[in-house]
Amino acid sequence: MSDNLGFYLDQSVCTGCKACQIACKDKHDLPVGVTWRRVVEYTGGTWQQDGDTMVPNVFSYYTSIACNHCEDPICVAVCPTTAMHKREDGTVAVDPDKCVGCRYCEWACPYSAPQYNPELGHMTKCDLCADYRSEGKNPACVEACPSRALDWGPIDELRAKYGTVDAVEPLPDPSITRPHLVITPHRDAQPTGSGTGEIANPTEI
Amino acid sequence: MNVHELPLILFTVLAQMSVGAFVALGVVQVVGRLRYGKAAVDEIADPSLYAIGPVLVLGLMASMLHLGNPFNALNTFRHLDSSWLSREIVFGIAFSGLGFLFAALQFLRWGSPALRQALAALTAVVGLGLVWVMSMVYASLPTVPAWNTWATPAQFFLTTFLLGALAVGAAFMGVIMWRRQGLARRFAWVERLAPVRWLLSLRRPEEPPPEAAAAGDAGRRELVEASLRWVATASILLLGVQLVVIVLQQRDLAADPGMPSASVAAYGTAWFVARLVLLVLGAGLLGLTLYRMVADHRSALLVATVATAAFATVLASEIIGRSLFYDSMARIGM
Ligand code: SF4
Ligand code: SF4
Repeated sequence: MSDNLGFYLDQSVCTGCKACQIACKDKHDLPVGVTWRRVVEYTGGTWQQDGDTMVPNVFSYYTSIACNHCEDPICVAVCPTTAMHKREDGTVAVDPDKCVGCRYCEWACPYSAPQYNPELGHMTKCDLCADYRSEGKNPACVEACPSRALDWGPIDELRAKYGTVDAVEPLPDPSITRPHLVITPHRDAQPTGSGTGEIANPTEI
Repeated sequence: MNVHELPLILFTVLAQMSVGAFVALGVVQVVGRLRYGKAAVDEIADPSLYAIGPVLVLGLMASMLHLGNPFNALNTFRHLDSSWLSREIVFGIAFSGLGFLFAALQFLRWGSPALRQALAALTAVVGLGLVWVMSMVYASLPTVPAWNTWATPAQFFLTTFLLGALAVGAAFMGVIMWRRQGLARRFAWVERLAPVRWLLSLRRPEEPPPEAAAAGDAGRRELVEASLRWVATASILLLGVQLVVIVLQQRDLAADPGMPSASVAAYGTAWFVARLVLLVLGAGLLGLTLYRMVADHRSALLVATVATAAFATVLASEIIGRSLFYDSMARIGM
């Protein structure tokens, strides 16, 4: 696993436009209901007293997540068939010839990355655009982002360049799977576990 | 009700019921044999044993429906060192294989009684292992807090013993009624069918000459009555434990700040009330009625009706309960 590939997201510039999600869907010809990259909106707020008035103090920000090709992928650990496996370059992929479509990985992954394709009868997920990469191109989502919020590469390089933040709401405690993910947090980003807001678009992820 | 996960609901409940019934039959065998003799116990317990087979097969078939691509099912053994799901499948196959082997030997009366008894004990242990492994498939997921608790194995074992005991009670009364109605004679033609005749011809004669006559009607009746009293007592006790577990589990669920609200909401439904009502009705009220009726030597038809009603009511409650268990599935994260 020389490369240990992963993703970077700049939350502070992500506008929630979902161009990455659509580029991914288009590139991989995904059917309705299968979304390898998802953009989640996290919203919350409180009231603040300002003199005699109560003023709203609200926040809302977006997090674009595909698969984090985790260091300790729980999807791989629970898979009964070993169809879900880690590859040489550190990416996590499904072997369709082994998968029984039990969907156990879908229950386990706290990022909703493995997605079941009922037409194929097996699990599918982000492979970090293995074919594009082999041609020296960037993954479709990274290329499509108008805000240039996404990047990808060996996780050590991403961490050297962008830092080590990966624990912001609504993402889970990173100690569970140790995601290959670096985030530049939004100015209102809430730390993981604070539960100060909620996911505003649960049906879209 | 969670229709979506129906295959898993049926599989887990039916498999647990099979394990429970097998264990309950084992207890009747071991305890009953001392007082009523082997022949009397076999006469009642064997038909009940054969009834477990179809239930288990139904459960296993249901589990296959859950798979998107059953043709790859052989791959599911590949990850035994890491995946509880792999282990569940191995234990499921081991329990069914051993169970069928034991039922076949018992039917054909092959092998010494000691050997068969050892096989039955092994089957029971593997069955209890299956229930444990089955519960760990859910309880081991750190990403689903509603499942990731001690209450998951506790509930699975309670389902096992409660349904197992009540199923055995209902089956015993079924055997009695079957004899009463002279159905055995009406279905005598079955024994003349070629494959059945062949099977029966493989059967070894009873080694100690049949002492069934010695046990007689009175002995058989006493045995069934004792078993039913035991079943009724077990169901009332298990109901008590079940209620305590449910209360503690709901308390933990509500107290955990990291619990997804969807998990809590799943239990705030009329279905949950229905499950509790059916549970108390079936295991409690009908269990008590069953006990009283047996103690009062009421007619077999009446006892059979109550035993069956108690079993059916608790089965309905457990199916709803399992459905809620799947409804409560909500992941942390996104
Ligand atoms: S994000 Fe989910 S699917 Fe991707 S590697 Fe991590 S645990 Fe597996
Ligand atoms: S759905 Fe496929 S990849 Fe996922 S756990 Fe089951 S066998 Fe493994």
